[in-house]
Amino acid sequence: MIKAGKPAPDFAAPAYYQGRFTHVELSRYREQWVVLYFYGGDYTFV
Amino acid sequence: MLSLSVDSVYVHKVWNESELSKMVPGGVPFPMLSDPGGTIGREYGVYNEDTAVDLRGTFIIDPDGVIQGYQVLTSVVGRSTDEIIRQIHAFQIVRESKEKEFTPADWKPGMTVLKPAVDLVGRVWEMWKPVRTRE
Repeated sequence: MIKAGKPAPDFAAPAYYQGRFTHVELSRYREQWVVLYFYGGDYTFV
Repeated sequence: MLSLSVDSVYVHKVWNESELSKMVPGGVPFPMLSDPGGTIGREYGVYNEDTAVDLRGTFIIDPDGVIQGYQVLTSVVGRSTDEIIRQIHAFQIVRESKEKEFTPADWKPGMTVLKPAVDLVGRVWEMWKPVRTRE
């Protein structure tokens, strides 16, 4: 269960980043501010 | 900034090349993550089991890996990036002050911050007079 003020669950995922396929782990972003931005699907409208 | 949807990285690539790069010069400047089956979305409570896609969830995570705030919208209304940036600015100011300074409602960068102390109780009105204009 997600709660503000509690640690963000760690994860790893494949990613597309500026012309390349790569791999992202949330834990590698310690010492930085991170925004996670979930959305329904590519090519949708809003 | 990390974006996530259930689409594959191959679809992310083609969407960026065929459409997003026409809206954003140079294309999307952050990693577009693939969350097949909504595994990560479920962890964050934003996966919609009925439609099998993620809702519009936004999570602000601080440099210690702690979630400082989140917002979830259904699929029909888009988010305000200005508001997300405003919130991050505010959290950064509070963090830099070691939580000695807080930002009041409708605060924007450059405005007065509040320094909570006993003598501020009942006197916030002297320091903070937000003027809202309705368009």
